[in-house]
Amino acid sequence: MKTLINQARALSPAAWSVIPRALWPVAAGLAVAVLMHAVVGPNVPGFTAKMMLVAGINIILAVSLTVVNGFTGQFSMGHAGFMAVGGYVAASITYYGSIKFFGSADFAGGALSWTGSGPHGGGPLGKGDLLFMGSCLVGGLAAAGAGYIVGLPSLRLRGDYLAIVTLGFGEIVRVLLQGTPDQVQPWRAAEAAETPWYSLMLKLGGPKGFNLLPTYTTLFWVYLFVTITLIVCYRLKNSSTGRAFLSIREDEIASQAMGVDVTRYKVRAFVIASFFAGTAGGLYAMDIGAISASDLGFLKSFECIIMVVLGGMGSISGATLAAIILTALPEILRELPPVWPAGLALLAVMAVVQGAHRRWHPRSLVVVAAVTLVAELGRRYCASQGINLAEYRMILYALLLIVMMISRPQGLLGVREVWEIFGRRARRPGAVASPPGASSGVSP
Amino acid sequence: MTDPSPAVLDVRDISISFGGLKAVQGFSLRIPPRALYGLIGPNGAGKTTCFNLLTGVYRPDSGTVALDGQRLNGRKPHQIAAAGLSRTFQNIRLFGDLSVFDNVRLGCHLRGSHSISGTVLRTSYHVGQERAIAERTFALLELFGLAGRSFEQARNLPYGDQRRLEIARALATEPKVLLLDEPAAGMNPQEKVELRALIRDVRDRFGLAILLIEHDMGVVMNLCEHITVLNFGETIATGSPEAVQNDPKVVEAYLGTE
Repeated sequence: MKTLINQARALSPAAWSVIPRALWPVAAGLAVAVLMHAVVGPNVPGFTAKMMLVAGINIILAVSLTVVNGFTGQFSMGHAGFMAVGGYVAASITYYGSIKFFGSADFAGGALSWTGSGPHGGGPLGKGDLLFMGSCLVGGLAAAGAGYIVGLPSLRLRGDYLAIVTLGFGEIVRVLLQGTPDQVQPWRAAEAAETPWYSLMLKLGGPKGFNLLPTYTTLFWVYLFVTITLIVCYRLKNSSTGRAFLSIREDEIASQAMGVDVTRYKVRAFVIASFFAGTAGGLYAMDIGAISASDLGFLKSFECIIMVVLGGMGSISGATLAAIILTALPEILRELPPVWPAGLALLAVMAVVQGAHRRWHPRSLVVVAAVTLVAELGRRYCASQGINLAEYRMILYALLLIVMMISRPQGLLGVREVWEIFGRRARRPGAVASPPGASSGVSP
Repeated sequence: MTDPSPAVLDVRDISISFGGLKAVQGFSLRIPPRALYGLIGPNGAGKTTCFNLLTGVYRPDSGTVALDGQRLNGRKPHQIAAAGLSRTFQNIRLFGDLSVFDNVRLGCHLRGSHSISGTVLRTSYHVGQERAIAERTFALLELFGLAGRSFEQARNLPYGDQRRLEIARALATEPKVLLLDEPAAGMNPQEKVELRALIRDVRDRFGLAILLIEHDMGVVMNLCEHITVLNFGETIATGSPEAVQNDPKVVEAYLGTE
């Protein structure tokens, strides 16, 4: 047999074709972002638009955590720590950059990041937008650097130990940021004046958080990042690198024996996940105009983990769905509409899909019907007693997770994507002649 | 006794002990290219430990391992795999949740180059490499009669197919020497006959040396040109199948003394 490298050269498409392949995700991201900004955003209630924005940030967090917790099977509990690193770096750059370049920390963006009322005078992009974008990317790089530093020693650990180290990292970041001084103690004024580090620390807001940031984050920017994150993670999953990630999760010893440098690939996964968490931190900070380390503690990390576990360990679309559901759930619970129409619709869709593929899962239909019935009865009871379910959402999450762990430990979708649930496994041997890898170079 | 032909795998005097237990002592073996060697011994004799020493899972306390003149001591398992030593496992270690296709594709991983930027941007080289990997994987699966099950999860395959898939995956790493740990375990007589033909075919087609651990004497005696017998970590006999079969020490190790 020829060596793989020679074979690869012979099968490579023309060199120029990299340009459309590399650029179409960006184009797709822009299209989705414009759609969200220009069509969806103005036509839904303001509160829904806000929730969509938060959901987008959560999608980035959940999908990036999937790379570590889902693909490589390492249990990282410090995702919010990386988000905080990225968020604070991006916030500092935007805030102090604005003061340095534009003279004040006021909004200096174009129409794409304009959230105020009334028409905006400038073009679609302002000088502030470039600073904002750059700061998010630098925040991502800073978080990736932190991921590398944390990952290199700790990813030699396994299972629980890695969880402890990453949990520790998240808490260290939170405590350090909260512990920065928010004003110069009089007796340290001289030290502050001559130590640039001290004055830099002073500007991070201390326990009160980093406030008064210009708000640039809009549906446009969030969904641009969401699309790019999704495509990058999808391409990683469906590549040699992604298979190496998955093999580590499946069996580390076999993976090594097949020549995968396990530590190196774990660190790679960690750095990629940290990068996206960092950009999400930047988007988060410039959305609410403030970032506070106390919001980015263990609970935030845990929220990300719940999304990954619920969606399926290793499923990008699963993590996306879980992020959307878990963002919307508290708001829906606040005033729960009747559940049964949605349940019936879901049942109908499942029945049609299963019928079309001739792969019946009667149990799944029964489960959905039963859950709908119980939820509807529970809703009526709570409504009659005047109970606000949103207050009990943490209990509901916990119950949900316990039920998942017992009945479906691999998560809603497992390692598969939504569109693979039926397609792949049902394929006939004859269809094998065109393995997906052969065409995967052209599709995303 | 010196072997005039150059050895592709040259193991000299490796030993390891776990606490007070001397698991393997002074194990030496020279495998010429394209040879079919066997390693047998009663349960607990240290056969799998030998494989683990060769592939870097354990580090030998003393002795050297050389592949094609390259010293392998102290290297990590993935580096040893890259040097050209591949193996299967006694208790099958497939990537159970991944498809049959992906299991073999992972074996091809070693011989490619995988940059993050290339993967994310889908450069021409990356696309070509993915195609080459798919093509090679498909060829291997066809050779092993598994092509029709490409998209099943590896854990759902019957036992015999899982064993063969492990061999296919190991071959995808383009090894010079292949170590098979009890390839016939759990197979029925018909499958064992097919496996013998398959192992010979693999040796001829890929031109590699094979060392196999096996309990099934029918398979070992029929297949191997040279056999080493271990007992309590020590080599008690080496030589042709006939010589080993008639060696009193071997008979004693297997059947005990009167």
